Amino acid sequence: MNALIISAVLGVVMMFSGILLKQKSAIRTVAIAGILVLLGMSILDLKGIQLFSIDTREMIVFDHFALVFNTVIFAVVLLYLLLSAPDMEKVGVNYAEYFALIFFILCGAALVTSFKSLLILFLGIEIISIPLYILTGSDKRNLKGNEAALKYFLLGSFSTGLMLMGIALLYGARASFSTVISPAIIPQNMSLLYAGMILLLFAMAFKVSAAPFHFWTPDVYDGAPTVFTSFMATIVKVVVFFGFIRLFDDMFEPQQGQWRLWVTVITAVTLFIGNITAVFQQSVKRMLAYSSIAQAGFMLFALYAMSGDGKEGLMLYTVAYSAATIGIFAVLARMSDYTFDGFNGLAKSQPMVAATLTVFLLSLAGIPLTAGFMAKFYMLKAALGTPGSLWLVIFAVIMAAVSVYYYFRVIQAMYFKEPGDTPHPAFPSFFKGMLLVLAFLVILLGVYPELLLGRLYF
Amino acid sequence: MNITIIDILWWFLSVVAIFSALMMVTSKNPVYSVLWLIATFFAISGHYILLNAQFLAIVNIIVYAGAIMVLFLFVIMLMNLNKETEPQKNRWLKIAGALAGGCLMLILVAALKDAAAKEQVASVNQGNIGLIKNLGKELFTTYVVPFEISSVLFLSAMVGAVVIGKKE
Repeated sequence: MNALIISAVLGVVMMFSGILLKQKSAIRTVAIAGILVLLGMSILDLKGIQLFSIDTREMIVFDHFALVFNTVIFAVVLLYLLLSAPDMEKVGVNYAEYFALIFFILCGAALVTSFKSLLILFLGIEIISIPLYILTGSDKRNLKGNEAALKYFLLGSFSTGLMLMGIALLYGARASFSTVISPAIIPQNMSLLYAGMILLLFAMAFKVSAAPFHFWTPDVYDGAPTVFTSFMATIVKVVVFFGFIRLFDDMFEPQQGQWRLWVTVITAVTLFIGNITAVFQQSVKRMLAYSSIAQAGFMLFALYAMSGDGKEGLMLYTVAYSAATIGIFAVLARMSDYTFDGFNGLAKSQPMVAATLTVFLLSLAGIPLTAGFMAKFYMLKAALGTPGSLWLVIFAVIMAAVSVYYYFRVIQAMYFKEPGDTPHPAFPSFFKGMLLVLAFLVILLGVYPELLLGRLYF
Repeated sequence: MNITIIDILWWFLSVVAIFSALMMVTSKNPVYSVLWLIATFFAISGHYILLNAQFLAIVNIIVYAGAIMVLFLFVIMLMNLNKETEPQKNRWLKIAGALAGGCLMLILVAALKDAAAKEQVASVNQGNIGLIKNLGKELFTTYVVPFEISSVLFLSAMVGAVVIGKKE
């Protein structure tokens, strides 16, 4: 509850800081101080210290797992802001408002990770989505950004409509918004329940960009300002995933037989389309967009397996995938050329940056000793716990092998190609230090995942 | 058979609703179409009041006749549509439209013909399910947390409108 209220308040604080503070660095400092406060509040939540006591009538329940996840998310946002906040200056003049929108999104994230009512899920998803539409279109001079924002807005509204229809049907079937299965709520009409469940499945699959609902992803990720693509592809995506799994875990567990086949097909198609299409991309930004679809395929295993292992895997995936992707996008935001050739010879001029980028790319590809490997390992282990899923696991491993090709293209360009005519940008030493911290985190969790997973249970 | 004032009102509103709906479809001038549509909405809102659903009636006027109609009018004015620019519609298109609409009507009639709700139709001063008072009570007791949270949603939408709309 602390984090939920404080994040909304911090959004308002950021709006005022835009009026009161003239210097951009001062606004940035306020934002980073804000996220530190938020992190502290979330840790207080974990310790059981509640600053506010509000009777939510069981609509919002902050259980331990949700609180740990929130804390991890806020820590990732802290890293993201430290690394990428200076780059937001380039996007437009409304610097403080961008931070305000990010804090509102975090408020939505706190809702999506702890809802026990469909109403709260809907509000949370919308509080996340609407600021994202704005952030996508925040660079008003960029035509591609405008197109992306409009596309995202229209398709996002459509999927929200599907979701509302699903919620309405579920209300019709169960006469309650609660996602908890209790003897007091007996579904009256099973066909209404199934129809609502499938609509919710589709809407959530759209929000996490799982195929075949992924068509908006490349255009939106490519068109949005790179700093915000980084936010969207990492933090927002894993939060919505968490909500997705929480919804199906809480509410549709008895109907598992009905939806598992759908999820199997969605997982396989997502892995296939994400990885195969990423191979053909020429722009690194677009490649990362498809790679995020491919990674969503792996995250879907947590939903497929619906077990403790799957949740551990998702937690590890959150950190591994977010840390690596935030690092790559932060470097990309400073590059002048977004194609693979833009990275030619980066190792010669910027050996440190190239080395950390290599760690991130290895982690995304799932090479051992990086967090990405452990994350994928936990996901596949969880999937193997379900009978009859061997073929899906083998397929996922083959697709992970395909992903090595396009991730290594960047490494190859950095180390084995001669630099082009355009010089590489200079990176400040603080930026390099943050990249090192992220790379260290990726390797640490790859060697010793218990560091994070141990926190889940006590 | 007693004819009460409610019956008279019901017949009056129904005739107005159907007539203005037909006029909306058949008008050549898009602006007239929109105005007839507004008249339809008002007539339907009257029906809601007869069914003792005050809240629905008011929301229907505010949202449909207010917000959505203004959007329609804006589009028509921005694109400068009038009687002259109205394209000549294909006859097959008209037939297809009539068929599609007829199918919808058939389904609605078939579904509602035997509906059990026929015996328990709400009317004015009967029951209290559609009253604003009850809705407000529910909203500010059971659902007060989601209600307050939705303010964050609106606030972020407002910030967004300013960010997108402000001149740089």
